[in-house]
Amino acid sequence: MPSRAEDILKGFKLNWMNLRDAESGKILWQSSDDLSMPEKEHEARVPKKILKCKAVSRELNFSSTEAMEKFRLEQKVMFKNRCLEEWYFEFGFVIPGSTNTWQSIIEAAPESQMMPANVLNGNVMIETYFYDGDLLVSTSKVRIFYV
Amino acid sequence: MGLLSLLRKLKSSPDKELRILLLGLDNAGKTTILKHLASEDISHIMPTQGFNIKSVSSDGFKLNVWDIGGQRNIRPYWRNYFENTDILVYVIDSADQKRFEETGAELGELLEEEKLGGVPVLIYANKQDLFNASSPGEISEGLDLSQIRDHAWQIQPCSAITGEGVREGMDWVFKNIKSGKGKKK
Repeated sequence: MPSRAEDILKGFKLNWMNLRDAESGKILWQSSDDLSMPEKEHEARVPKKILKCKAVSRELNFSSTEAMEKFRLEQKVMFKNRCLEEWYFEFGFVIPGSTNTWQSIIEAAPESQMMPANVLNGNVMIETYFYDGDLLVSTSKVRIFYV
Repeated sequence: MGLLSLLRKLKSSPDKELRILLLGLDNAGKTTILKHLASEDISHIMPTQGFNIKSVSSDGFKLNVWDIGGQRNIRPYWRNYFENTDILVYVIDSADQKRFEETGAELGELLEEEKLGGVPVLIYANKQDLFNASSPGEISEGLDLSQIRDHAWQIQPCSAITGEGVREGMDWVFKNIKSGKGKKK
């Protein structure tokens, strides 16, 4: 008989992610490939102008067939091996059979402190870890290219 | 306007993290209001089969808006999201007179919930752009809102489609936050 943890892992799917200019609400990048394959490193080709945005939003959508009681995520924006930014978010309860979105909106660093696109290109990775309590449910890694 | 600009106004509030809970029957327009607040496209909104959360951060200050699906089979799960709520925003489809009784009953139950005790309530009388929409006055009367005790409340006519009235509702929300419970972890 499969364990509860196995059921949760099997029933979890990261459906899509996107990046927006948070001021205009316009989508600058949306995932096209199947993000639900957690072992794969995904690539995002994002227009350079995102670096000029005063605020950027990252949004993700996931489904779970199982109920979860202590669902949370950690999202890190890495530059090479340095963490530029991190979010911890506690969802708590997840409804069985639900599809949910979480969006984080954050002000960008002042332009003077912003690294140029050619330095950032290919060196920025958004890493997202999904947990139910201490159980690691899924992982997602998206490498950002500025085009 | 954007959620960030709303958040900036709030910096004087002592709490570091703020939670707004958006509830109402299915098809009331909760997600559309949320998307309108973030200036997003509202042309392809599907029924919410779980939750939509927007987390906004500015200078270490955080605002989390929780929009929970309103379909009948999801409503029993609402209670899982009550804890630590600073403001309840309840959305009504003003043109769905057939379900006024149902939405009034759901609102009544929410106002009785211990975990939402004392939480200020903004009621959006949404869909005012529809020709058959009831006025806020008619809704207040129909739902007996004057009977609300122990909650600061306000009814705000709005249209999530045109955006009319949405901002005014949020202004009330932010004005009433400080008079909230001031608990928090």
